Amino acid sequence: MANFMVESCVKFACSCGILNPLSKLYFCRHCLKIRCGFCLCHEVDVRFCSNCLENIPSSEARLNKSRCNSCFDCPCCHHTLSIRATSAQVARKSGEETPKEGDAADPSKVLTKKSYYLACLACRWSSRDVGIPDQISAKGAWPENEYVYQSRFQSILEYYQNVVIQNKQEKQEMMRRKTLKAHKFPSLTDRTGLNVSMIRRQIGWPDKNTPKITKATVTPSKALEKFDELPEKMFTEKLNLRNVTTIEQRHGQPAHQPFTVNKLYPQRKNLCIKRSLRCRQCEHNVIKPEYHPGSIKYRIQLFAAYHVPDVWLVSCEKPLKAGVLCQAVLKLSNPTIHDMTITIMDLPTQDEEYEMMEDLKKSFEKNFTSLITSSSTALSTSSFSRQTSITEDPRLVSKKTTADMKMLESSFILNHRDDSAEFDELAENPTVKDEHKFIVSRKSNKVSLKVNFTPNGDLVAGDEVIIGFTMQYTYINTVSNTPDKKEPQQHALTSRVYINMGRIPE
Amino acid sequence: MELPDIVYSKDEYVETASGNKVSRQTVLCGSQNIVLNGKVIVQSGAVIRGDLANVRTGRFCVISKNSVIRPPFKQFSKGIAFFPLHVGDHVFIGENAVVSAAQIGSFVYIGKDAVIGKRCILKDCCIIEDGAILPPETTVANYMRFTKNGTMEGGQGNPNFVPPAMQDKMVEFTKSFYEHFVKAG
Amino acid sequence: MDVPDLKIYPKALVCEESNIKGDVIVSAGCVIHPHCNINAENGSIIFGENCIVEEYATISNKNKSPGNYEILYIGCNNVFEVGCTVEALKIGDKNVFEAKSIVSNEVEISNGCIIGAGCRLEGKQTLLENTVIYGNDCLQREALEKQGSQILQIDYLRKLLPNYHHLRKSNYDPKKIRSAV
Repeated sequence: MANFMVESCVKFACSCGILNPLSKLYFCRHCLKIRCGFCLCHEVDVRFCSNCLENIPSSEARLNKSRCNSCFDCPCCHHTLSIRATSAQVARKSGEETPKEGDAADPSKVLTKKSYYLACLACRWSSRDVGIPDQISAKGAWPENEYVYQSRFQSILEYYQNVVIQNKQEKQEMMRRKTLKAHKFPSLTDRTGLNVSMIRRQIGWPDKNTPKITKATVTPSKALEKFDELPEKMFTEKLNLRNVTTIEQRHGQPAHQPFTVNKLYPQRKNLCIKRSLRCRQCEHNVIKPEYHPGSIKYRIQLFAAYHVPDVWLVSCEKPLKAGVLCQAVLKLSNPTIHDMTITIMDLPTQDEEYEMMEDLKKSFEKNFTSLITSSSTALSTSSFSRQTSITEDPRLVSKKTTADMKMLESSFILNHRDDSAEFDELAENPTVKDEHKFIVSRKSNKVSLKVNFTPNGDLVAGDEVIIGFTMQYTYINTVSNTPDKKEPQQHALTSRVYINMGRIPE
Repeated sequence: MELPDIVYSKDEYVETASGNKVSRQTVLCGSQNIVLNGKVIVQSGAVIRGDLANVRTGRFCVISKNSVIRPPFKQFSKGIAFFPLHVGDHVFIGENAVVSAAQIGSFVYIGKDAVIGKRCILKDCCIIEDGAILPPETTVANYMRFTKNGTMEGGQGNPNFVPPAMQDKMVEFTKSFYEHFVKAG
Repeated sequence: MDVPDLKIYPKALVCEESNIKGDVIVSAGCVIHPHCNINAENGSIIFGENCIVEEYATISNKNKSPGNYEILYIGCNNVFEVGCTVEALKIGDKNVFEAKSIVSNEVEISNGCIIGAGCRLEGKQTLLENTVIYGNDCLQREALEKQGSQILQIDYLRKLLPNYHHLRKSNYDPKKIRSAV
C-alpha cells in the first residue's frame, strides 16, 4: 500500500519489546506470538554463488572455504570478473612448410585458437595485467596463488586440530572412568577398582588402550630483535601511488596483503546463503526458503503480515498542536480468511509491561528445560548445537507515547479477506446496520476509522507525536497443536502498535 | 502513510486498451519493438530504445520520469549485437535511472538515479538502492540488495535488507501506484 | 556562402531529436543519438571522427569569459554514454565517459581514459593517458590493456538508426568548399 522503501510510521512491538514495521516481523503459529529477527534462530539453509547461482553443498563449501569454484572477484575493485574470449591466429604446426607471408588469409594454413582471460568491467583490470597466462578453456584452470605463510598456517591449523581431538579424547576417557559400567554381573575388578589398564600398568606393560595421538609440534613464532633499516630510497624516491595497493585491496587478499598492484590476483567469490528462521521458544520454523537458489518461494512463510491486521495512517489533521485535540484516520486490514473482532485498548502500564517481561522469561525457562529433558532422553545433541539458550532478553518498549489517545468505545468486526472480490466489480459492500460512529468507511477487508488524540501539553516544536494502543484481535488457529482438538480454535491475541503522527511544527 | 494520488492531465497521458498509461513526453524509439504488457505507467521524459532491440515489460511496471531503458550490446570479433531487454511483472524503475540490463526479473525495485550497467541480470525480488551503480555484467541474485556503496547484501531469509515478503510488497506497491495514478477532473 | 551553425560532415549521423545549440562541427562517422544536449553557446564545439553521443548526455563548452572565445576540441573515437555531463576544456582520443559520469570544466582529458559510471571529476587537473576512474570513491588506475575500438558499434548504428529516426542532413563538405574556393 505505502512505499515499503520509506520507513513506516506504524511500528509493532515484538514480544521482546523491540519495535519494527510489520513487514519485518514474523508470526509463530505455535506460540501465537509476534517474533522479530532477534527472537528467531538463524540457520544456514542453502549455500550458493550469487554470480553463477549454483547450489553448493555444505561439504563442498567447507572444502573450498566457502568460495565459489568458478567465479572470481576483481582484486582491484571487488566486482565480479567476467571471462573474455580472444581468438589468436596461430600458424598450423604441420611441419610440411612454414607459412609464407600472404598465406595468412588462407584458412587452411591458419588455426584460430580461442583463449580466455578474466577482465573486470568496472575498473578494467584484467588477468593479463599481472601476467596470468590466458587459458584454453572458458572454465579455465586458473592458477591458485601460493602464499608465503601458507605452510605455516597449515601447520598451525593441523596442530590446533590435534589439540582439539586430544582434548576430546581425554574428556571421553574421563567420562568412561567416572561412569561405572552397569554389567549384569558384578565383576571383581569393578569392586576392587582394578581394570585392565591398571593391571597392565602394575605389571609394567605398556598401556594398550591409550590412543596414540601423534602430537604435532609447531615451532613457536619468535619476535625479531633486529631488523633491517628502511632502505634509503624509501625517503628519496618519489612514490607512484598508482602502483601501491589500497587498504581495501590488501584486505581483499588477507593471506597475502600485497604492497604493489602487480601482485593482485583474482579472488574466488564468497558464497551467499539462504537462511531459515526458527522460533527460539518452540523450535518451529517460521521461515524456510525453497532449496533451489533461483527460487523466490518459501516452503514455510509465517510473516506477521499474513496473520496480524495491518494498520496504516491514512491522514492526520495538521498542524499538530500540543494539548489540542487532533483527529486522524487509520486504516486496518484483515489478512486472514476469517472475520476478526477488533478492540482498541490502552497500552499496558509500565508495571504491566514488567509483568509481561517476567512471564515471557518464565515461559522461556520452562520451554528450555523441557527441551533439554526431551533432547537428553532422546539422546540427541542436535538441539544443543542450536542456540536455544540464547534468547533475546525482553525489554521495555523504547518508544514512549507522547499523546493521549481516546480509546474507541466499542469493538468492531473486520471482514475477512476475499481475493475474488477484487475481480468482482459489482460486489456490494455488506452494509452493517448499526455501524459505529468512528468508522469512516469499509471496503472488502479494510476499515477506515477516526481516532482522536491529544498531544501532550509539554511537547515543544520539533517533537514527535507518537500515539500507541493495544490492538486485540480474534485469531482463528487452523492448525491445532493438539491432535484431539479438531475444531479450529479461536484466540484473542493482542499486539502493541505505535504510530508516529508527525512532528509539532516550528 | 498511504501513497498520495498522482494526478495527471488528460492531455498529457495516453491510455491504451490494456491499461498502459504512457506520457506524450516520452521518447519511444522503434515503438513497434516495444511491448508493454498492460497496466504499465511510463512517465514523462522516459526513453525506451526499442530501435536497438526488443523491449518487453510485464504487467504493473512503473517507468519513472527521465529514466532510460536501453537494450545492451555485446561486442564480438565480427561485430556487435544488441540483446533484447525483458522486464518482469511488478517492477519499479525510479527517476533518472539508466537501465541497460539484459534481464530484469519480477518484483524488482530500482531506485532513482541508479545505473544498471550493460548485460546485468537482476533476478526476482531484488532491490537496487537509490544512486547505486551496477558495473556491467553484474548478477544480482534473489532477495539481494545492491547498495549505494557497491556491496551486495541480504539473501532469502535475511530480514534486514530485503523484506521477506518482497513479492507481496512489490505487488501491493505497483498496484496501488497504478490505482493512485489518476486523471484530473 | 551561407555557413550554418551546425556543420555536419558527410557520413555523420545526427538524429533530428537531438538538442544542439550554437556552433558545433560534427565530423565524419559520428553518431549523435536523440535527446542529447550539446551546448556550444559559449564557444564552439568540434567533434572528431567516430564519436558517439548517447541519450541525455550533456556536452557543453563552459567558457568562463565570453570574450575569450575558446573552442572545445573533442578528439576521435570518444563515447559519451547515457546521462553523462562533460564540460572538460579539452578531450583527446578514445575516451569513454560512462553513464552518469560528471566531468567539470577545469579538467583536461588526454587519450584512452575511461570515466566510470557515476564518477565525478572536478578541480583543475589533466588526466594522464589510459587512466581509468572507477568506483564510488572515484579511484584512479592505469589501464594496461588497450581498450577495444568503437568502430564496430558505429558501423552497426549507422545501419540501424536510419530505419527508425529522422536524421539531420549533412550540410558541410570540406572537399566541396575547398573546390568552391
